[in-house]
Amino acid sequence: MSPTHHLQPQITVLYFAAASTATGLTSEAVPLPSGTPFPLSSLAEVLASRHPDTGLDRVLASSQWSVDAEMVDDPESVSLKGGEEVAVICPVSGG
Amino acid sequence: MTSSETFSNWPPASVEAVLDTADGIAVLTYSPLDVQQIISSVGDDRAGATAVFLGTTRNSFKGKVVTRLDYQAYSKLAIKTMAGILHMAQEQFSRNAHQPQNAASSLIKSVVYHRLGTVPVGEPSIVIAVSSPHRKEAFLACEYILEEVKLKAQIWKREFYEGEKEEEAEWKSNA
Repeated sequence: MSPTHHLQPQITVLYFAAASTATGLTSEAVPLPSGTPFPLSSLAEVLASRHPDTGLDRVLASSQWSVDAEMVDDPESVSLKGGEEVAVICPVSGG
Repeated sequence: MTSSETFSNWPPASVEAVLDTADGIAVLTYSPLDVQQIISSVGDDRAGATAVFLGTTRNSFKGKVVTRLDYQAYSKLAIKTMAGILHMAQEQFSRNAHQPQNAASSLIKSVVYHRLGTVPVGEPSIVIAVSSPHRKEAFLACEYILEEVKLKAQIWKREFYEGEKEEEAEWKSNA
């Protein structure tokens, strides 16, 4: 493992419901592209490109984000620095 | 085990959770909901009314036969959302029409239990119980808690239909 690998920040992404069905995953470690802090608003593009042709892009378009178990109201105002737990919150259907 | 069974294993973040606050208790559990125990848990000698809502899994959707429903949650977040809704219910319905000066105690206790995992048709997936000195606040708070949980709690339901492939089962949306 190279030292640069250790230095590259990464986040944990959690998938539920339709996002989990699309990716076949419940979570994955995602390295953040260089130039952190990384805007949350750019994360959908990164995840969609990791899972092409799965329909994840459409799921993300109708979903919200949570970061460290807090709902995000405005993704434009949130940046990721590494170490966060980010969840894709699909439209909910409890009850 | 078939591959579809493997895939239907619950996400590691969808775990049982309990949050006990001054406003009441929120619970996420894989166990069947014990309705009588839940109702008893809000019992109080000051209460003249207990409103209860049971949401049970239905056997049909648009003419299709539902064989089972699976629920999962982002428990760490969903349990906070549920407890926050109980708190809002206390704030909103703590007005006592008969004694406006005694506003603090008109909802005595409210609890919300949501089941996770596979819920067979006909069993409760959600149980809400609210006790209050008077029926009106209990009814109003019970409905408010239900509608808010359906709208906001980070819980997802997947419906499986007779004669359809498991992997094509539909994730529902309350929106």
